[in-house]
Amino acid sequence: MEGKKHMNVTMTINGKKRSFETDPRTLLMDLLRANGYKSIKKGCGEGSCGACAVIIDGRPKNSCLLFAAQCEGAAITTTEGLGTPDNPHPLQSAFVKHGATQCGYCNPGSLIAAKALLDRNPHPTESDVREALDGNLCRCTGYVKRIEAVMDVASGGKKA
Amino acid sequence: MLKNLTQFYRPATVEEACALLAAKDRRNAVLAGGTHVAAVNDTTIEGLVDLGALNLSYIRRTEEGYAIGAMTPVQDIFKSSMLVGPAGQLLREASGKIGSTLLRHAITAGGNLMALFPWSDLPPVLLALDAQALCRRGVPKRTVSVKNLIETGPRHYMDQGEILVELQVPEFGLGTGVAFHKFSKTSNDFAMITVAVRITMQGETVKEARIALNAVCKKAQRRPEAEKELENMVPTPERIAAAAAAAARDLDMTTDFRASREYREEVLPVFVRRCIDEALHQALS
Repeated sequence: MEGKKHMNVTMTINGKKRSFETDPRTLLMDLLRANGYKSIKKGCGEGSCGACAVIIDGRPKNSCLLFAAQCEGAAITTTEGLGTPDNPHPLQSAFVKHGATQCGYCNPGSLIAAKALLDRNPHPTESDVREALDGNLCRCTGYVKRIEAVMDVASGGKKA
Repeated sequence: MLKNLTQFYRPATVEEACALLAAKDRRNAVLAGGTHVAAVNDTTIEGLVDLGALNLSYIRRTEEGYAIGAMTPVQDIFKSSMLVGPAGQLLREASGKIGSTLLRHAITAGGNLMALFPWSDLPPVLLALDAQALCRRGVPKRTVSVKNLIETGPRHYMDQGEILVELQVPEFGLGTGVAFHKFSKTSNDFAMITVAVRITMQGETVKEARIALNAVCKKAQRRPEAEKELENMVPTPERIAAAAAAAARDLDMTTDFRASREYREEVLPVFVRRCIDEALHQALS
């Protein structure tokens, strides 16, 4: 495949096929935010904080460390694809219920990491949850509540 | 940022990728997981060759041990149920200590070796396990030891249009013990000291010892003088202490904001001794 200064990248975002004309230097985070996926937050910009996490072909990754062009043909899930204010995803409801929201900046990335975990392992241990969220920093230090929220969802709400 | 990046290639074959890397009219660089290249400031890179479509993500059992595709995410190594012996244990343990879960899904086995950062966790493990690297320059392929690859410098291979496609890691049976220690300020931070040890026993004597380091110096390396202190010897506490001291002797240790050279000189022998103790305990149990 011949490389190009300006290139088209096609990916499926939250179930919808989208094509973008972009520059080879464009990072996935910047491309998605410029096209309306504002749940993705720019935090550290170097893969340390997880605020920009998205699920790519089933894997949670930092979108600040990926070129958009690497995601040609990929299926991407952002927090916009989880639920709506009227019909939130169980994880979003659990974050609210357990007070895991704090200031909210890290929530989209944390939700994405939690979703990727439950997609692969619907019945995680607390240790599994801690490990899955180890790349999502919360500067409000709301680390315990979000673990309780994910465990709540994993247990089908029985731990509420 | 790659200010002068104008071309992005996603080759479908290894041959095509090698040809792009060997091109003389522009400087093309390999893109594996992207965690380094996406964050780096490098004005010399004009093109990126993304290896993501080459089907190099796999872990297979072989007669000798394991074959790990160069594009295998280190998270897959960490979670693999196929890696069961001492070598598998060492690979899983070190892979699980690379960055965070989000990073481990992006960082590849080949990228962690070929980028060859002082803080890379897999290079000392691969050295301790006598791993081989399968490299291809188009159709021709050759197997080189990871030790030679590190000493020559991965950049030399890539500049010649040669890419790493697979890591070949031997497995060891009863009588072999392994240990890995990564010493860092937090679990997600870069290492200040990384030690990987393999001990293979024959009766009460050490048949083969491998002691490999990273993070204390500019690139991963084995410590032959320390290994000699143990090989063909009964591993007494005095012998182990001598090996630990030898591992830190005549080593050009680095100073950075995480730790001074003097601090590393003091602490390194402690971690080497602990690793040898752990590996011996496993080998003898």
